[in-house]
Amino acid sequence: MLRRHPWIIPASFLALPLLVYFTFVILPTMNSLYYSFTDWSGYGADFNFVGAANFEKIFSDRLFSNAIKNTAIWLALAMTAPTLLGLALALALQGKRKVNTIYKSLFYLPICLSPVIIGIIWVWLYSPKLGIVNLFLRSIGLEDLAIAWLARPNTALIAVFVAWSWQQTGLNMVIFLAGLTSVPAPLVEAAKVDGANYWQTLVKVIIPMLRPATVVVLALTAINALKSFEVIWVMTKGGPFNNSDTLAVFMYSEAFRKLKLGYGSSAAVILFLMTLVIIVLYFRQVAKSDELYE
Amino acid sequence: MNLKKRLATALLYFLLTIMLILFMVPVYGAIVTAFKTATEVAAGGYWTVPTSLALENFARVMDPEAGNLGLYLGNSLLLTIPASFFSISLGTLAGYGLGKYNFKGDGLLFILIVAGMFLPPQIALIPVFRLMNDIGLYDTLWAVIIIHTAFGIPICTLVMRNFFQVVPKALREAALIDGANEYSIFFRIMLPLTLPALAVLATLQFTWIWNDFLWPFILTQKAESRTVMVGILNLTGQYTVDWGGQAAASLIGSLPTLFIFVFFQRYFIRGLTLGAVKG
Repeated sequence: MLRRHPWIIPASFLALPLLVYFTFVILPTMNSLYYSFTDWSGYGADFNFVGAANFEKIFSDRLFSNAIKNTAIWLALAMTAPTLLGLALALALQGKRKVNTIYKSLFYLPICLSPVIIGIIWVWLYSPKLGIVNLFLRSIGLEDLAIAWLARPNTALIAVFVAWSWQQTGLNMVIFLAGLTSVPAPLVEAAKVDGANYWQTLVKVIIPMLRPATVVVLALTAINALKSFEVIWVMTKGGPFNNSDTLAVFMYSEAFRKLKLGYGSSAAVILFLMTLVIIVLYFRQVAKSDELYE
Repeated sequence: MNLKKRLATALLYFLLTIMLILFMVPVYGAIVTAFKTATEVAAGGYWTVPTSLALENFARVMDPEAGNLGLYLGNSLLLTIPASFFSISLGTLAGYGLGKYNFKGDGLLFILIVAGMFLPPQIALIPVFRLMNDIGLYDTLWAVIIIHTAFGIPICTLVMRNFFQVVPKALREAALIDGANEYSIFFRIMLPLTLPALAVLATLQFTWIWNDFLWPFILTQKAESRTVMVGILNLTGQYTVDWGGQAAASLIGSLPTLFIFVFFQRYFIRGLTLGAVKG
């Protein structure tokens, strides 16, 4: 009996997890697609299928294009600053010195804090009169730079981004450190014996060997950047005048504050399609490097 | 070591130390502010070292008549522990099914599950909000428990599948010859072996679920079902100028995950870096 149905045993292990996963992850994802084609506004309200109307509207919505612009800036900053800083920290701290353990631990401490708490703490840091950022700027004579960082249209997004990076940098460092352990030491030694200096070894040997870790860091950073909501919500709620409004914040505001649930769904779908691009690129890279190592 | 190399090392650690000090400023700020009295704050600013260890901020945020943080901490525990347990249990079952057996479409199924790890919660927010309303679980901790269980399945399945794949085949075959059935092999032989992987997942799941804000923010409303992160953000709305209270609440809310950071760091890091080495 069991021999004739070899799938029965794995199926018995997989049935319950798959049921839960499909009901509460896959099905809602599909439903978002469906709602994005409706004019649903408000829980309990009736709604109609309106075709692509939401998408036509959204692409001429000034708030949406503003959110896309901010998301693009956020994404571009995320792919560079915390990634490079994480890599630099990992390279600096990869040795076996005892003191490195302490440094590493403290750099990664922000990872275990909630983004809500990170947001709250950074609001004080940026406080115009009493925040340490401005106290420091005034103490070194840069009185003019001591501005209300979170209330100014042209600094709010960057200021929130710095707070977000505080956590992302540590995460990237941890992943790069793990990647560095798989760079074979003899290879690095051989490069040194051949007369390569540190920078040549770094660029020609270490960085290429770090490719799998780099792919993970870039994919994770991009996805985290696209979905980041909490830190922005806590610090600025997307303000002032929507200047730190990213796609994730826009989606929340439209759906749950203005109760335009159909329209909000179309924003969620666009956000989802953007992450889908990254997910597909990521899996293709993983498949490629697997072939390389086989 | 020659002089040049020593100088380079000294410069490196000098720069690292400056970076570290900058990195720790927010943590320092939260700690000193939490232990300061309101009068001391008014007199000396926020960033000085407190002259005495005042506990009034902690008392105020924990007071059921004021901050009521005790209730929210309890709720977060009632959410985080079952949600971690259920997601790890389901992930273990799925990971075993995928890691120890071959069947048609197993690779595709695995990718479909693991891809869920990268799914932005935003795509499911509205439908889950509606679903929980429809089945009468909106504004209960159960809504958040279920959703964290479901969204935890991808990472738990990935970790457990990778784990079961490296458990030697001979172990199962020997047990089969001894007459054990598939389920007693799973429960009596395989499960005890998984403890290290379970520890990795427990630290990861506990931290994510405890720290999460978005799901409880969307799925709960009343104070009785409020989690600690939603509660702390509410406090900052109520007491906008009470930095001491906010700092104390932030410290209390971070204690469980800081505990994991201190005592289970190794497992937590191993969880974070899964997939980083091999791609």
